[in-house]
Amino acid sequence: MLHKLLGVPPVLALLLATTGLQGQKAVSANVTADLPAGPMQAKATTTCLECHEARIILQQRLSKGAWTKEVDKMAKWGAVVDPADRDALIDYLSTNFSPDQPQYEPQRTSEKSGKSK
Amino acid sequence: MNSRRQFIKNSARAALVAGAVPSLISWAFPQKPVVEVPGEDGMILRSFRFIDLETPVEYFNTWLTPTGHFFVRNHMYEPVELDRGSWRLSIGGEVEKPLTLSWAELSRIESHSVVNTLECAGNGRSLQRPQVPGIQWGKGAVSTARFSGPRLRELLQRAGVKSTGKHVMFRGLDEVPGKVPPFIRSIPIEKALDSDTLVAVQMNGAPLTKHHGFPARALVPGWIGAASCKWLTEIKVLDAEFVGNFMSPAYRFPNQPGKPGDAVKPEDTHPLTALSVKSVIAGPSNDATLKNGRVAVHGAAWAGEADIVKVEISTDGGATWSPARLGRDQSHYAWRLWSYDWKPGKPGDYIVQSRATDNQGRTQPVAPIWNPSGYLYNAIDQVNVHVA
Repeated sequence: MLHKLLGVPPVLALLLATTGLQGQKAVSANVTADLPAGPMQAKATTTCLECHEARIILQQRLSKGAWTKEVDKMAKWGAVVDPADRDALIDYLSTNFSPDQPQYEPQRTSEKSGKSK
Repeated sequence: MNSRRQFIKNSARAALVAGAVPSLISWAFPQKPVVEVPGEDGMILRSFRFIDLETPVEYFNTWLTPTGHFFVRNHMYEPVELDRGSWRLSIGGEVEKPLTLSWAELSRIESHSVVNTLECAGNGRSLQRPQVPGIQWGKGAVSTARFSGPRLRELLQRAGVKSTGKHVMFRGLDEVPGKVPPFIRSIPIEKALDSDTLVAVQMNGAPLTKHHGFPARALVPGWIGAASCKWLTEIKVLDAEFVGNFMSPAYRFPNQPGKPGDAVKPEDTHPLTALSVKSVIAGPSNDATLKNGRVAVHGAAWAGEADIVKVEISTDGGATWSPARLGRDQSHYAWRLWSYDWKPGKPGDYIVQSRATDNQGRTQPVAPIWNPSGYLYNAIDQVNVHVA
């Protein structure tokens, strides 16, 4: 078992086995953050993350009205939103990513010098 | 597992074994996440699948921005396959003689250089209140480089623009997901024929990198970044402005300033063109604690097609202003670096602000003009510092 060989927790061993050891592309792909838990997490993941990553959503802080416009625009642009799910999806987004949520903290790309800020 | 410390120790060991230190350390230390993007250096990650990278303001300390520090804005996915051998650039539409140029043919056309400050129209969007949707840029979707390549005018003259030609459309090779409208925009013929508007093939003396539009991009100096189409493959002369999402409703600005949060009717807007007057403080950083003594306040200021004539600094919340010293390096479309030697005198909390003025008489406002997409944020810049 990789985790026994390396002396790391199983979850990290799994990460190494599936991403880290396969080179740059896989490591990079793994940085995509997930959407928060909630009744619409799975459907939002399928609907929204077909074209863009969760990060695009995580950085928004919008009113319910603004989220409604965004969801309808994205549906027009090809996002598959079941009409029965539209209101719940808007609720999920406007609850988790409302203007009163704490500020989003973006990641940085690594520095050529190797140190992180 | 006994503790977080043990976990971190194990993680670091695993990272060394894997040879993927930055990514795995970032995974184990969520408070300081770091992502590998080849060629990019310490940039703020706004989007990864279509790359959007912001330049940290502390990098605004060189007149020309190194390419690894130059902000990146992509609306779509970058083209997967790009090679100069098969790349072609067509020039058509309202022209006498449509052309298709190969890379070799383009390379034989005389090259011209322009130092240009490129700024995303949405730079500063995250500072708008109420908040608006879009990439939540802080202050750093702006950078400066020397762009080189044939003048667009030269290509248009070879094709012979008809008298019906009023606008010039650019199409790039970026790949569009779903039913998203393609990223196509146009500029008026007058700007297209300007001697400084280029089909750029180089940036800071090196071939364009993929993130910046290899092998060729439009360079429309002094204008919002969206005008300077990357991975350029088609130039089309039109008899009217291009009709498409990225001309309307996107990239438009209210004709009259309204109240923050108010809706704006499409007929009361116009397409964005040149950039506003603006300055940004690169140092000291917001919330910095400084030793009492001499403090170098410094940053950059730009004004699109206009020239910066002064940058003023206030350290008392805007009650009084003193001129900053403008840097020696200058070029018509490029930012000016500036600095101000500040002696706080006594310890305490200070608000440090910068305010730029250009030769069109425009000065940075106290509050930005709010608009539903958060374009052209240019309020007086500010950092809060503590002098110990």
